[in-house]
Amino acid sequence: MTVHTTDRLVTTLLRSQELSCPSCVPKIEKALGALPGVEQAKVHFNTGRIEVRHDPTVTEPETLVDTVRRAGYESAVSAY
Amino acid sequence: MSRLMIRLTNPVQRRLWLTAGSGGLIALALLTRYGLGSQSLWGPLMTAAALLAGSDIAVRAWNSLRVRHLSIELLVTIAAAGALVIGEHWEAAAVTFLFMVGAWLEARTMRHTRGALRELFEAAPAQATVLRDGSTIEVPAHAVLPGEIVLVRPGEKIPVDGEVLTGAAAVDESTITGEPIPVEKASGEPVYAGTIAHNGMLQIKATGVGADTTLARIIRRVEEAQEERAPTQRMIERFAAWYTPSIIGLAVLAFLFTRDMHLALTLLVVGCPGALVISTPVSIVAGIGRAARAGILIKGGQHLENAGRITALAVDKTGTLTEGRPRLVEVVLARGVGAGTVTGVGAGVGTGDTLPWLDVAETGAVEEELVAVVEETSASALDSGWTPPLSDPSFEIGGAGPDGVDETWADARWSPEEREVIRWAAIAEAGSGHPLGRPIVESALEDGPLPTPDQLDEHAGMGLRANHEGREIVVGNRRLMDRFGIELDAGIDAGLAELRARGRTPVLVAVDGAVSGILGLADTARPSAAPMVAQLHRSGVRNVVMLTGDDRAAAGAIAATVGIDEVHAELLPEQKLEHIRRLQGAGYHVAMVGDGINDAPALAAADTSIAMGAAGSDIAIETADIALLTDDLGKIAEAIDISRATLGNMRQNLVIALVTVGALLTGVLMGRVHMAGGMLIHQLSVLAVIGNGMRLGWRK
Repeated sequence: MTVHTTDRLVTTLLRSQELSCPSCVPKIEKALGALPGVEQAKVHFNTGRIEVRHDPTVTEPETLVDTVRRAGYESAVSAY
Repeated sequence: MSRLMIRLTNPVQRRLWLTAGSGGLIALALLTRYGLGSQSLWGPLMTAAALLAGSDIAVRAWNSLRVRHLSIELLVTIAAAGALVIGEHWEAAAVTFLFMVGAWLEARTMRHTRGALRELFEAAPAQATVLRDGSTIEVPAHAVLPGEIVLVRPGEKIPVDGEVLTGAAAVDESTITGEPIPVEKASGEPVYAGTIAHNGMLQIKATGVGADTTLARIIRRVEEAQEERAPTQRMIERFAAWYTPSIIGLAVLAFLFTRDMHLALTLLVVGCPGALVISTPVSIVAGIGRAARAGILIKGGQHLENAGRITALAVDKTGTLTEGRPRLVEVVLARGVGAGTVTGVGAGVGTGDTLPWLDVAETGAVEEELVAVVEETSASALDSGWTPPLSDPSFEIGGAGPDGVDETWADARWSPEEREVIRWAAIAEAGSGHPLGRPIVESALEDGPLPTPDQLDEHAGMGLRANHEGREIVVGNRRLMDRFGIELDAGIDAGLAELRARGRTPVLVAVDGAVSGILGLADTARPSAAPMVAQLHRSGVRNVVMLTGDDRAAAGAIAATVGIDEVHAELLPEQKLEHIRRLQGAGYHVAMVGDGINDAPALAAADTSIAMGAAGSDIAIETADIALLTDDLGKIAEAIDISRATLGNMRQNLVIALVTVGALLTGVLMGRVHMAGGMLIHQLSVLAVIGNGMRLGWRK
């Protein structure tokens, strides 16, 4: 793979309605950040929005949802 | 098997089943002890219940601990484990079970609070019908290509931002603007994704799809606003950061001094800061969401808190208080012009007909002494108890009582004499594109179509001269009258001066060499301006200040009409800035409403900047602290009210949280509160805080 990874990065938006306490935020961010191909993960507690900057060829959006689920929260990919 | 897997892998499902299982075991334990009188199963059943519910809490506590976060779950886990160790099986089971039930209820209720924006998400349709390669096909809304033609049938939601190509429909734009009255859209007009087309078929050229729509931008901005922490929230988070460790410390101290493990563990349980950490975010999410539904974008907790403190509002005049375009508001007649005027002027008059009032005007305008009769329509309207024409819908909104708007009567019925003057001027103006001509032409067109003059000369900066069926019409200013040797006597001079004093732009009308009247044009106040100012005063804005570059008379006229407290006219942009600083120096929390570039410095200096009519303008949405999607001034007062309600809500939540924790801690130290009861009250306080926040969403 000679292609620069930055060219492949996309931002996938997940939404979770389950976040019920701010302490879950670092937990989810850390779990997502540990995935291969994920450059950055940001969890917004107030709105339940999860922004993930990642390489979709390495880590698919479905994997992101699975990861959030393993951290204890249900989420779904959202168009905006 | 697969259903079991779902129950285990889906965290929500798993948690629900763990909670239900734990509850079942507790019920079984109670049954065996009190129903069957058997003590032997009590301990094991309660322990199993505690382990079932506690496993999920412990896992979460561990996950938080790994990222160096002392979570509420950790407090509960320590307490429950400790209770099991000292043989308090019932307490351990009750605490873990209640915590799980509470967490489930919290998640459910938070979902409703966050749901304020769901209406917006759901507003955008998933599918669009596009015209592609000559046939219509259904595609996902985000797959429409910019420039493609989208078909919208009556009753359907518009899937993209675009421009109407053909068709017409009444479009319900309430999702975008919060305005419940549908707007008529026809060819060339912009439409927004998420709005609903009623009673008409539209063909739309897509200009923005998916994330590049006004709706998506609004959702994004609102969410960013909800995520931006308010100062109060930041304070709470700093507080919570040392609160949890200090509760652990307090429990340890309590154990060291009293050697009472039960007391120490109870302290851990009731010390949970759940209600506290959630008190401000809940209010802010609900408040900003509530405002967004009303077409008000408040750009974050900081601005939400600021808006509630506004005590002075600075407004520009043009386009904010006024309609931003001139209207014909007064006609000053030269005496005798209309003597013996026939009725039915203009009815059915077509091009080329012999106009019935020509003769009248001719006789009227001859040698009679010209005496200006100033007819101040507004004054006479008020004196005579004149009621606005019902056909003007603006009066239904604005009202026009004695203290109401008196400048919105462009539709006021002019007397036959006045109509003659208007019509003469309009015949000349119809051929010209001058902005001051348009309101004259519009007024005249109410009486029927206008003939085209035989000849028309424009005199730049002065006016027009036209020939129509052998008559000479001269319309313009004093210099134009001088040029054509038309005399202005003392009466006309007085009329001119009086019109100017009231902020009108006077237009002289002369027919066949003699002045027949003066038309007074003015930018009129919006019907909503006066009620808006009154509403602002009720909302606690003590000083509504007009800052305008316009001339003093025009500004004063509008200010008097709408009830402005302070007027500063003929200002340069930097002088507007000085006034903002002066108001701030006088102790006011100043908000500024503006749109133009010339307002930019003053907007930047104001404590809160407000943009109006932002639906079509991304810049306004992006830069202002508060963006009103419509240009309805009443929304400013509404924004202030929502902000105040949110601030109040936040304070109530803090009080609920602090009083509960304080009372529980005191109760524990006095030996009155036990672990299970403490957990129950704690969870109830969390729900009370969320429920109180949701109230904001329900306000009308």
